[in-house]
Amino acid sequence: MSAEFLELRNIRKEFGSFVALKDVSLGVHKGELICFLGPSGCGKTTLLRIIAGLEVQSAGTIVQAGRDISRLPPMGRDYGIVFQSYALFPNLTVAENVAYGLVNRKMPRVEREARVKELLALVGMPDAGPKFPSQLSGGQQQRVAIARALATSPGLLLLDEPLSALDARVRVRLRGEIRSLQQRVGITTILVTHDQEEALSMADRIVVMKDGNIEQIGTPAEVYGRPATPFVADFVGKTNLLPATRSGSDRVQVGEQRFECPVADELANGAALRLFFRPEDVTVRGVNGATPNSAAAVVEKVEFLGAYSRITFRLNGIDQPLTADLSLNDMAEFHPKPGDTLRVAVPPDRLRVFEAA
Amino acid sequence: MSAILAGGMKQSVHWSDRVAHALLVVAGVALAVFLLAPLATILVKSAQDRAGEWVGLLNFADYFRTPALERSIWNSAWISTLVTAITIPLAFIFAYALTRSCMRFKTLLRNVALVPILAPSLLAAISFIFWFGNQGLLKALLGGNQIYGAPGIVISLVFATFPHALMILVTALSLTDARLSEAADALGTSASRKFWTITVPGAKYGLLSAAMVVFTYAISDFGIPKVIGGNFNMLATDIFKLVIGQQDFSKGAVVGIILLVPVAVTYVADRWVQKRQSALLSARSVPYVPRRSPGFDWAMTAYCVAISLLLLAVLLMAVYASFIKLWPYNFSMSLDHYRMGLVEAGMFGAYVNSVTLGFWCATLGAAFIFGVAYLLEKTRGLDTWRGFMRLMAVLPMGVPGMVLGLGYILFFVEASNPLHFIYGSMAILVVNTVVHYYTSSHLTAVTALKQIDNEFEYVSASLKVPFWRTFLRVTVPVCMPSMLDVSRYLFVNAMTTVSAVVFLYSPNTTLASVAIVNLDEAGDIGAAAAMATLIVVTSSFVCLVYYFLQAWLDRRTQSWRNA
Repeated sequence: MSAEFLELRNIRKEFGSFVALKDVSLGVHKGELICFLGPSGCGKTTLLRIIAGLEVQSAGTIVQAGRDISRLPPMGRDYGIVFQSYALFPNLTVAENVAYGLVNRKMPRVEREARVKELLALVGMPDAGPKFPSQLSGGQQQRVAIARALATSPGLLLLDEPLSALDARVRVRLRGEIRSLQQRVGITTILVTHDQEEALSMADRIVVMKDGNIEQIGTPAEVYGRPATPFVADFVGKTNLLPATRSGSDRVQVGEQRFECPVADELANGAALRLFFRPEDVTVRGVNGATPNSAAAVVEKVEFLGAYSRITFRLNGIDQPLTADLSLNDMAEFHPKPGDTLRVAVPPDRLRVFEAA
Repeated sequence: MSAILAGGMKQSVHWSDRVAHALLVVAGVALAVFLLAPLATILVKSAQDRAGEWVGLLNFADYFRTPALERSIWNSAWISTLVTAITIPLAFIFAYALTRSCMRFKTLLRNVALVPILAPSLLAAISFIFWFGNQGLLKALLGGNQIYGAPGIVISLVFATFPHALMILVTALSLTDARLSEAADALGTSASRKFWTITVPGAKYGLLSAAMVVFTYAISDFGIPKVIGGNFNMLATDIFKLVIGQQDFSKGAVVGIILLVPVAVTYVADRWVQKRQSALLSARSVPYVPRRSPGFDWAMTAYCVAISLLLLAVLLMAVYASFIKLWPYNFSMSLDHYRMGLVEAGMFGAYVNSVTLGFWCATLGAAFIFGVAYLLEKTRGLDTWRGFMRLMAVLPMGVPGMVLGLGYILFFVEASNPLHFIYGSMAILVVNTVVHYYTSSHLTAVTALKQIDNEFEYVSASLKVPFWRTFLRVTVPVCMPSMLDVSRYLFVNAMTTVSAVVFLYSPNTTLASVAIVNLDEAGDIGAAAAMATLIVVTSSFVCLVYYFLQAWLDRRTQSWRNA
């Protein structure tokens, strides 16, 4: 049998004639935090709801902890769930909310109270027990919702855009808290989000989805550094994507510029490709004529973004404007202004090519 | 083969869902037995002769060959149209004053205008007899004309329908977006042009809806034409005469179907209209805040005070007359009508019955309606059956009380019916009244439930908590205000209704509202006024109780409601 804690095999979902998920297969390791990332309509929430049994897949199998749960109703599955809206019971206190699932397990009162206390301490709200949800801030409510979901010690935690309703500061803080909580408890967790920063900072692995398909599964570093498709490259982080053709082994041609980079052997000479690199891969320090992949850039625009500045520039013979992120040190040394010419380079190992779709 | 399988993946059903399904089936069967079966019986009966032989459309042919009966169709039609034409403008101006002027005493005037809801419709008819009847105080004003017949019916119906139209129109007028009016001001639009190009189109659906409600009320009402109609026949009184007077069930069924048609058509049209209205107001709309305008405000105040005084004059006349020793010969005050006319005549039991009926409708009835609405909205599975039940839940509003009552008598009177035993009991009155007023209550419950996230149920399922626990611990407390509304609505209507129950009471279960009809028929109009007064006082008291209950609940729950 497979070693995966949760296994999705060939999941397909249709709503009438609309296909929300096309043959999705995925394994989730025990204890990891996996993130479903994608734009709205990509099917990530539908996939989560299928795992929860709130939607029924049109075809496919779900196996959790060695048990086929494909056809089980939500009550028969083993998970805790947290929604964007918190969905705390407004008429019950925080303690009663957290104890909601415990009462049904006929747990003795003393034991139950101890468990509630433990959970509230775990989410950093030891004194909130007697309060009502409406007396708490959004971030606090979401922590209570997490405590409630963890109360019954489920095998799987499902988080459906849990941070989207919160304001930016709280969101960043809660990200870290949820992640460390998840690691302490060691619970297998699926997080649905459309926020790439959230996914990059929290996940063990990211599942990037588009139009009901999985585009890439990988660690944050893999997804960011070695995107499998132009879509992933573009969706996660900032990107320069250029139309290119192969012009030799480890060489591609973009307009009048020639770039040195690793190219897979199966791509034929003259094949239509797309060249990818990130703005922060562009270097300016110590670049001279001998530096591989270097060229003279004409600066078009300089945007100050705090910790770094984004330069928009053009290369001779390429129609498309390109971007580079320069650190404050680089800026202090080169202080580029619109109209200036600057020698830039992209290290070959930072360049990636895709087959053009 | 695989294509068939692809669309056909189904979850196994959890045992707690099976409980929900079982409850839905029971509730659906109950609705079918107590709503569809009686209505179907009318259809069958209309195609049978007195001996129960199948005669097809013969009864209808007979009906249309009887000029006296056929005349009632015309009477019902023009009376209802006229009542609509009078009530709607009166109520619209009142609603306009409440929503668009800076008139003073708004709350007071509004409450006075809604008072007729607390009274049985017959009260108006009785009052107008005291004002303009043969021995009325202002009979001279009629200059030899009679109040009995069409004039009395029309004016009494206007009184009875006014608050119903007012409520709908106030809602419609408060839904208009203030930004339209501001934009018009910025373009220098005149007040009258704004009224015709913004206000009236904005309230269009409300106006249509109100007109349909008034028309339906007028054509279905039984009490008013019975008391003040004299020899003027309408469809509702015809049914009563044919069924109770002549025991001619077949012809009664024919008239029932004829009455059902316009009401059902109006109702379907109204549902269609309301569906369109929902899209009118977006979340970003800005509520209209009226600005001071002394001349207009004064005119509106004067109008509303005048209308309120007229409504009070009608209401208080019945109250006043109930304390008069012997109208019109001895105007000294006494409790004779209460003591001799009601208590000693053994009529007090009817009052107790009405309160009992109100109590059961407000408790069991409200609980049933809310429970069914919850099962329909928040549980899973059984989708086809669910759709069928939703349809049944909105059907009763399209059925006039007289027709429903007729269906009940035809269906349950048969000794072969296993449910025959409830015939003549309090139970049949409770069931009939709950079904009669099912739709409004159901829609109120559904609206309240829709405001609660479905995610409550999802979370509960993930925590392995069965739905009934969440229903009792969360849904009921959260929805309590709406449940109280439904409960009060059922209580008041049980106290005041005449139409459906007039067929169904037995000597032991006479109701106060029905007693008014009987007292009036026996010529004891003083006692009838006393009974009507008792009903108004009781309904008002009940509303007050609910008001304090609500206030107490608000205080108790404010710790968690929007803190």
